[in-house]
Amino acid sequence: MPRIFRHWMLWPALAMLLVFFLMPSVDILRASVMDPELTFRHFERFLERAVYMRVLWHTVEVSFVVAIVCAVIAYPVAYFIVQSPRRVQFLLLLLIFIPLWMSILIRSYAWMVVLGREGVINSLLMGAGLIETPVRMLFTTPAVYVAMIQILLPIQIVTCYSAMSDIDLGLVRAARVLGASPWEATRRVFIPLSLDGTITGMIIVFMLSMGFFITPALLGGRRDLLLANLIEFNVTQLNWGFAAAIALMLLLAAIVGIVVIRLAARLLLRALNGALAR
Amino acid sequence: MSGGRLITARRLGALYFGVVVFYLIFPILIILPISFSNNDFLRFPPSNFGLRWYRDYLSDPVWIDATILSFQVAALVAVIATVTGTLAVLALARGRPRFGRAISGFIALPIVIPHIFIALGVFIFAVRFGWEDNMFVLAGAHSAIALPFVVLIVGASHRQLDPALEQAARVLGAGPVRAFFSAAFPSLLPAIVAGAVFAFFVSFDELIIAQFLMSRNETLPMRIWADLRLELRPTLAAVASLLIVVTTLALAGAELLRRRAQAKLDQR
Repeated sequence: MPRIFRHWMLWPALAMLLVFFLMPSVDILRASVMDPELTFRHFERFLERAVYMRVLWHTVEVSFVVAIVCAVIAYPVAYFIVQSPRRVQFLLLLLIFIPLWMSILIRSYAWMVVLGREGVINSLLMGAGLIETPVRMLFTTPAVYVAMIQILLPIQIVTCYSAMSDIDLGLVRAARVLGASPWEATRRVFIPLSLDGTITGMIIVFMLSMGFFITPALLGGRRDLLLANLIEFNVTQLNWGFAAAIALMLLLAAIVGIVVIRLAARLLLRALNGALAR
Repeated sequence: MSGGRLITARRLGALYFGVVVFYLIFPILIILPISFSNNDFLRFPPSNFGLRWYRDYLSDPVWIDATILSFQVAALVAVIATVTGTLAVLALARGRPRFGRAISGFIALPIVIPHIFIALGVFIFAVRFGWEDNMFVLAGAHSAIALPFVVLIVGASHRQLDPALEQAARVLGAGPVRAFFSAAFPSLLPAIVAGAVFAFFVSFDELIIAQFLMSRNETLPMRIWADLRLELRPTLAAVASLLIVVTTLALAGAELLRRRAQAKLDQR
């Protein structure tokens, strides 16, 4: 390749990431332990107070549940799209892309309109005479789940789809020719090959849920607040050091969560292969 | 499996797909009719229709200023992220830098790091230099999170290029830059445009970084956020509807453009 396409072309991008991503990350690290001298009191405070640990566990729990539910709902959707004729696939994907592109703020607002006291569902139910007084749906835990899953599901579907569309369907056909039943061919060939995409999607969804901020603040009650909300609160209270410590705990918990997901996936794959050996 | 059972399975699949799409799209679509109500409060179904809340949005300088600021920042981000991202793609694909893999991974990192983390970092960093409430700093931070999307989109398109075309241009006497612009760039352009549109909306929709960094100058998401927490006026339904329509048209257009170009490259 000509000399002109050389490393200098990387510099603008790397410089930008250095200033707006790497150095800020280092600043978080510094703010969490320097206040103004070296101290671990922010981390101690986080680990010692039951409130903070409760929010941490709640964030991890919500993120796991959302990642698992998204994976379960998305898998058949992605499979349906992959099995469709090529020309239709793009149209079906567009139906998934449109909600994917919509801002999280707007989608959370939409759920407020749907679930609110005088919202769409309550109006319809009361109009049909099914209920007398509005049902309380907004500011509850299920509302947070329903909205978070709706917001993250398209990402899982798209990730899962792109992994599935890379699978050579000739392999499944080969298994069929060699005498496997349709279900056997699917289980032994297609599912193990598509599992990677599912896991990647789950990790992305898990990671994004861990940082969720808008949806729990708008749709949940006080007990539904996540770590990100705690960070925001402490920033407004000017407790930057503590906010930084929470942000690092958030990152640490997310990394541990990803390792757990990867291990679970490996075990699952081994179980599938064990079934294969029999 | 018999043909009959196969058809039943397809139908069940279509039904399931329909239910999921309904869940994904219904809450977004329901905003549109509500935004055309003339009622004082959000209600469903609206009892009379009109453009009252659209007029309210367009005549309120607070909303308009926020929209203009978001537009400016997003336009800057589209330019910065697209230029730096495209250059990075070229360097990674052609310059074969050492640690190329690690660099690609590093560039992709902001996709998976929660925005709240980046927001807090950029905020603490900006305070240190007295950079708060500065739209250029906001644009820089948004560019960092938009960059990976541009690199992914343009990078995918670059992999489809046929190097023979550029070599032919070189053989015919074009310099490397001219060969690139005449033989490769036209094929990359749809992906670059798609990347720019994508980067624009990454910035246009972003709340948390802006919320931490900005104070007197409000972006549109910040204005929406403040309104959501305080009063929930129907003006919001009008703003949301406009955003829904604009986002869908722009991104669907960009995606269509990208796919067409991709299909053309695949045929070669």
